[in-house]
Amino acid sequence: MAEFTLPKNSKIQKGKSHDVAGKDAKRKKTFSLYRWDPDSGENPRMDDYTIDLDKCGPMVLDAMIYIKNEIDSTVTFRRSCREGICGSCAMNVDGTNTLACTKAIEDVKGDVKITPLPHMKVVKDLVPDQNHAIAQYTATEPWLKTSSPPPTRERLQSPEDADTLNGNDGKGPAACILCFCCSTSCPSYWWNEDRFMGPATLMQAHRWIVDSRDEATGERLDELDDSFKLYRCHTIMNCTNTCPKGLNPAESIAEIKKLMVTRR
Amino acid sequence: MKLKWKDDGTLKTPLARARGLGASHHGVSHWWHQRMTAVANLPLMIWLVWAVVHMQGWTYIEFTAWLAVPVNAILMILSVISVFYHAALGTQVIVEDYFHIEWMKIAKLIGIKLFFIAAGVACVFSILKIAFTG
Repeated sequence: MAEFTLPKNSKIQKGKSHDVAGKDAKRKKTFSLYRWDPDSGENPRMDDYTIDLDKCGPMVLDAMIYIKNEIDSTVTFRRSCREGICGSCAMNVDGTNTLACTKAIEDVKGDVKITPLPHMKVVKDLVPDQNHAIAQYTATEPWLKTSSPPPTRERLQSPEDADTLNGNDGKGPAACILCFCCSTSCPSYWWNEDRFMGPATLMQAHRWIVDSRDEATGERLDELDDSFKLYRCHTIMNCTNTCPKGLNPAESIAEIKKLMVTRR
Repeated sequence: MKLKWKDDGTLKTPLARARGLGASHHGVSHWWHQRMTAVANLPLMIWLVWAVVHMQGWTYIEFTAWLAVPVNAILMILSVISVFYHAALGTQVIVEDYFHIEWMKIAKLIGIKLFFIAAGVACVFSILKIAFTG
């Protein structure tokens, strides 16, 4: 059966509390961060950091960088662009997978609880091991595949055809930044991540399947025609609910399923 | 049996694990049959519920006479086939979702298929017996 409880060495314990807000701080906020150090041999714990919001920027990532710089340099997390385009700072904030850099602190009522993306192995603190998810993405061969001789200039595409990738509102499958918020919010992916590709990878696969310039559509569909790789999706819709970019992975998966039936 | 997609600590690369044993090329048939039977179930179940509500207070003789009418027997056989086939496909998905011990999963999948085939044949035989012999 699926495992519904955490193994003994993964049970989360209460950690340390750090209050550096000062007595005259007007806007105090407590951030509760998941901490786990593979070298210590200890169970994971939640450390609390109370800070003065007037001393840091407005986003959750700003507060985390403040905590790392000013209070505890051992706090470990990924971040890079701090503007929602690299996907590095994907984590679970206040119960929802999102990007810490685009999540406003004021949108969280009470303490801000931050844990790693669910159901991935943890490398350290808030850094999940994404090797398998990225290998699944690689397995879809996410590049243009053609058999025709290469043209002497750009490969042309009509604006309408480009819309199938980009969406007329910029929210098509090509806008996915591969942060894996959706895949790690999906119960089907939790239970069967070894074989189910997950919404992020399927959305990327859809991006190449519908690309008018690509000539390997049939092979791409062949590779997904599998009870596990594609059809573990049971339209739960957590993917679309959680996507921090406002995209619709569930629709991409539904479109792939439609194409599968169309070619029968 | 060592399965290629398992995270078993061996030295295979992430890509080897992600590719696993490749695609079975049977996913779409299962999905399509489940949708087709779902569409068929909708009118059939409305008819069945309507029929059962009407049967209140009937004697055995009245019921068997009703079932012997060709249209009723045909709709009843179609309901049994459609519902049991749909249930077999659905329970298969549940087992595949939640059972991760390979031998147990295969045993359950075989058991489910055999159960629904046996139950379906028994129902169809019963309907035909009443339809033809009363």
